[in-house]
Amino acid sequence: MATSAPESIAEASDLGFAYRPGEFAVRHLTFALRRGEIFGLLGRNGAGKTTTVRLLSTLLPPTEGGGSLFGRELRRCGRAERARLGVVLQSESLDFVSVEQNLRLYAFLWGVPRELAKARAEEMLDLFELDALRLRKPWALSGGERRRFQVARELMHEMELLFLDEPTVGLDALTRGRILDYLARRARDGLAIVFTTHILHEADRLCQRVGVLQDGRVATIASPAELKRRHGGARTVEAEFDRPLSPGERSEVDRRLREKGDTFAPLEQVDVRLVFRARNPEDLVAELARWAERAGVGIERIAVREATLEDAFVSLVGEGPGPEDQPTGTLT
Amino acid sequence: MSPVPPVLRLVVRNFRASLDPITLLVMFGQPAFLIVILGTMFNQLIGSVGTSSSYVAFLVPGMIASQMITGAVLAGRIFWLDRRWSMVEQIFCGPFLRAEYLAALLLTTLLFSLVGVGIMALVALPLVGLPTLSLAELAVILGTIGLGATFFGGLLIAIGGRIRSANLYFTIQSLLQYFLIFISTVYYPVTAKTPVVLRAVVYSNPLTYAANTVRSAFTHSFGTGDLVAGEVLAVLAAVAFVAAIASFRRLEFGPVQ
Repeated sequence: MATSAPESIAEASDLGFAYRPGEFAVRHLTFALRRGEIFGLLGRNGAGKTTTVRLLSTLLPPTEGGGSLFGRELRRCGRAERARLGVVLQSESLDFVSVEQNLRLYAFLWGVPRELAKARAEEMLDLFELDALRLRKPWALSGGERRRFQVARELMHEMELLFLDEPTVGLDALTRGRILDYLARRARDGLAIVFTTHILHEADRLCQRVGVLQDGRVATIASPAELKRRHGGARTVEAEFDRPLSPGERSEVDRRLREKGDTFAPLEQVDVRLVFRARNPEDLVAELARWAERAGVGIERIAVREATLEDAFVSLVGEGPGPEDQPTGTLT
Repeated sequence: MSPVPPVLRLVVRNFRASLDPITLLVMFGQPAFLIVILGTMFNQLIGSVGTSSSYVAFLVPGMIASQMITGAVLAGRIFWLDRRWSMVEQIFCGPFLRAEYLAALLLTTLLFSLVGVGIMALVALPLVGLPTLSLAELAVILGTIGLGATFFGGLLIAIGGRIRSANLYFTIQSLLQYFLIFISTVYYPVTAKTPVVLRAVVYSNPLTYAANTVRSAFTHSFGTGDLVAGEVLAVLAAVAFVAAIASFRRLEFGPVQ
């Protein structure tokens, strides 16, 4: 087993888990989490994100390899290590009392002093916009409200490492933003966060590093910027003309762009808008501008959008070929 | 760290969070109702029963013993709801050992059983008066309730840990509850006239031993049979406890129906 580096708060070392003999949910996971870091775990459904969270939070014992939590071997971790963890499960977990009582009862379970629990419950009710719902039973809340409640409840106690398994499912954009801002603040104060999500721009915004799981294995670990650079593929160009292009004009654009030799695909036209993707779109934009001037077509706007984490993710784990693998110059 | 030990924190949480008043009313109200109605009605028809001076005096110790089933059912329900709403998983992620969660459930079973015993004793008071129990007899009753609660609680937890369907769990629980109570000496005695097969079935039921022991305490008629009954209950409680631990070790997380 690898020895924990001082800044490392949790480690996976060739970590694996099989729910049944030979059927591994995750395998050969190797990475380290640093104090104050927000680490994103991305992957398709069933890729092994929840199993990884369960392994690192000691809920499941590794069946292969190992790892450590706060410097202690995972299989030997117990109450002392779990007392330093927070875990927001993917599944809804709740007790049959009101929202406010749930918060305070959970704090009691964690041994938070009564006065502190009271003050913290008020803070969480306010932060997660649950104040008006404090007397409701959790099952009477909407899906998004329940998710907010679950995250708020976990933040009732102190921790050094927080696992969030899809914490923002069903939340509106404003609430998501508030929660992510709060988590970023906590991370700046030293809290390490492991965050699984399918909303990739959240991971892009929040995480210092992301690990992409594919079929139970780590496909790559990198910063979102690095991941986009390595796997984001083409950038998207949107050109808006002063009138729709005729079929002949569109064929001409297609021919000229293909002659420039850069990869671009697929090209789409919606009314006055033409969209295409290219690795190095600058030459194509210049060529398009020259053609428009000669053809007497006015260009209202041209925008080049950078590759997103979603582009990189799809390229990395998608079943079909990534943009870089697609045939050059194909028009649709 | 909290000055309250983890097991007690979990017990407090079990009491505060997992049960609604209507469930409690039904669970404790039903046997109390039976003592009043069944006791009063059959008292008219039946004279003394064995060493008990009347049918109601026979019934009350049996109903008191049956509270170990009520306690076990309530604790089993808490465990099942904890599984259904992922609180088992959530608690296991926290500063608790699985053994502590199990101990808390069994302690909850015992406490619910004792609450039931208290309620039954209060309800029976106008019908049979205040029983005169020595400290030893009281200790035997509480010990019997404790062992029985451990056995039935452990049994339901062991079953609940292996089943992923609420329908199946609650069906098994209901069947156990009613069969165990009816095929025991809670409502009626086993005599020489009882068919052999039925007698064998009744004596294979741990509740029979508990009911007989509590009844012996109430009638100050302890015998060697009660000592054997205590030993049988202790062995069964240990077996159920081990089964519950084994079930916990193999507990699978994730959704249950």
